[in-house]
Amino acid sequence: MWRAMLTVSALELRTRLRDGTAIVIALVVPVTLATLFGLALGGDDPPLRATVGFVDLDGGEFPASVRREVTAAEELKGSVTLRDLPSGGEARRALDADEIGAAIIFPAGFTRSVGAGEGGDVTVLTSPRSPLAGVVAGAVVDRISAVVDARTLAVRAALLAGVPGERVKELVERNGAAGPALTLTGDPLAGGKVDLAVYYGSGMAALFAFFVVGASFRSLLTERKLGTLDRMRAGPLAAWVPVAGKAVVGFALAMVSVCATWVSGTLIFGSSWGDPLAVLAVLTAHVLAAAAITMLVAARVKTDAQADGVIMVISFVMAFLGGSLVPLHSLPGVLQAVALLTPNGWTATALAELAGSGASVAAVMGPIGVLLAIALGAGGLAVLGLRKGMLL
Amino acid sequence: MTAALSCGGLGKRYGDLVAVHDVGFSIAPGQAYGLLGPNGAGKTTTISMLVGLLRPDTGTVLVGGVDLAREPLRAKSRIGYVPQEIALYPELTGRENLRFFGRLFGLPRRALATRIAEVLDLIGLADRADTKLGTYSGGMKRRINIGAALLHRPEVLILDEPTVGVDPQSRKAILEGLERLVGDGMALLYTSHYMEEVERVCDRVAIIDHGRIVADGTRRELVSLVGGADTVELVLDGDVEAACAKLRAVEGVAEAVRTGAASVRLMADGGRYLLPSLITAVEGHATVTATQVIEPDLEATFLHLTGTTLRD
Ligand SMILES: Nc1ncnc2c1ncn2[C@@H]1O[C@H](COP(=O)(O)OP(=O)(O)OP(=O)(O)O)[C@@H](O)[C@H]1O
Ligand SMILES: [Mg+2]
Repeated sequence: MWRAMLTVSALELRTRLRDGTAIVIALVVPVTLATLFGLALGGDDPPLRATVGFVDLDGGEFPASVRREVTAAEELKGSVTLRDLPSGGEARRALDADEIGAAIIFPAGFTRSVGAGEGGDVTVLTSPRSPLAGVVAGAVVDRISAVVDARTLAVRAALLAGVPGERVKELVERNGAAGPALTLTGDPLAGGKVDLAVYYGSGMAALFAFFVVGASFRSLLTERKLGTLDRMRAGPLAAWVPVAGKAVVGFALAMVSVCATWVSGTLIFGSSWGDPLAVLAVLTAHVLAAAAITMLVAARVKTDAQADGVIMVISFVMAFLGGSLVPLHSLPGVLQAVALLTPNGWTATALAELAGSGASVAAVMGPIGVLLAIALGAGGLAVLGLRKGMLL
Repeated sequence: MTAALSCGGLGKRYGDLVAVHDVGFSIAPGQAYGLLGPNGAGKTTTISMLVGLLRPDTGTVLVGGVDLAREPLRAKSRIGYVPQEIALYPELTGRENLRFFGRLFGLPRRALATRIAEVLDLIGLADRADTKLGTYSGGMKRRINIGAALLHRPEVLILDEPTVGVDPQSRKAILEGLERLVGDGMALLYTSHYMEEVERVCDRVAIIDHGRIVADGTRRELVSLVGGADTVELVLDGDVEAACAKLRAVEGVAEAVRTGAASVRLMADGGRYLLPSLITAVEGHATVTATQVIEPDLEATFLHLTGTTLRD
């Protein structure tokens, strides 16, 4: 059966490669558009300005030193503002209202517990709508935890060595296990530039994935018209062979297309999309969702010409609503909510998160899960439809 | 002996329309079975159910004793299906088309090239196999269309109007090829609009109308259904009116009408054997200068049973 499937795949691939438009749609157009958009609109354009909420429930020297450090840091001058807020709840409200882009919360007793070698947890709140603020807050907290870890270790060591409790603090500080003083190393904004080139690049990748993978399901309808599909179905092979053989090729070509857009964007603009593994995971999930949706279209329409039209409309509507054409953060709130009804919206959110924060795949498991759920849901309906329409 | 293909109680409705109702027949190996019916009679629907493209509402299909519904792959591996329309890739050559379907149908790699050459020989297209199908004539496409169904050496070949739009030369080649296959023991199910093809190729014929088989048997059996009434045309010289009255009185003549100044048409049982008495009967009034006896054929049977002619 696998050989039969490969036979279908080989012919599909050959047909697609022979037909010049396939290459154009899979590679030339998305890469060109992404580059043009990137050149015209990309660069340092997104406002590198962020307000980070600061909730100090501790009142000790640790938060005070962090505040000092952030206000003094050269790199953050003019772009990051701290705003004091009375409570975590208030911080969350401000975040939801987009008054702040992120928040750092020091719990009560933080300085004392760190001083006693018990460590401590700082809470960070971030919003996908303001990746820059999230990055700043994240960088600050990374430094804090490094200091806290060093302190905790030093205090523990001193205690183990038999130093009396009241002298530990002094000893630790004198021996250079950095005090509460916090130094921000490097440019914490480096990862925070979600270059619009990345945004448009990923948007084009997300849009064209639909066309590329959709063409394979469309060709199923072409073969029904040709009669070759019935000839296959009357032959001694499992019903899934023609569909799967074509789906594999559509999926592979769409992966090539999105990866080409990704790689060319990275090379041309020098801006990273984030952790490669995580980006690949998000793109794969997106292509799966696009495959399932276009398969559902093929299952519902009668002819390949109709499939072309419907796939075109659906792809553009999803691309527009999902922030593939216009960055999500410049859409009105209602549309931002609607964006999460499309795979493009989840892909854009996940890729912005990855490009903005340098986070790993764990940070985008949510969007990936939603994309896979869309793929399963639409795919299931598509299989039922294909059966009914005698394509499967 | 197990039938190569048998079906029983086949039925299919499309909403209120009964496309096929209670269709059943059985084809032995080496037997050619014809399915004759006017447009929309249900031929394609029946065939679609036989090859597993359409799930029947009722009834069963056995291919060489294997239940199509229960073991579709095993049953289908014994069927060669030639669709009503050309079902091939125009941008591939004839040979590439055959290679694609051969691989798909599981022919081992090494045997494939040999088998394709055999099939091309059989359909007489060996010399044109390497040009694109899109450039073929209608008849050549039809031949590849049949060839693609033969690759996996099926035991039953099912053809849905395989000679539509074919030049006489290709038609001849196709029919001869089919006769050879039947001679080699293949079972054949053949539908056509062309009476003479069915009469030539098939040893058994079913007439289907409005989704039902209205008659079924050998050609001779079907013809005798209409009754043995032959049409006899006579051209007379003399008193035609008087001769006509005499002819009506002859035993076995059902009807005699004047069809022209000197011609009479009779409906008679066993017309050929009646001729001597007819000639004797008119003696004294006229002389018979020409005779023609028209025996009923399948076309007449078809007209009688379905009330329509076969062609559009
Ligand atoms: N998918 C369908 N939906 C609804 N009605 C159908 C469908 N397929 C066939 N029919 C109807 O079923 C009847 C039988 O059609 P079928 O194609 O089997 O006839 P046929 O004998 O092959 O005719 P032809 O000689 O024109 O090929 C026709 O009335 C046709 O309109
Ligand atoms: Mg038909």
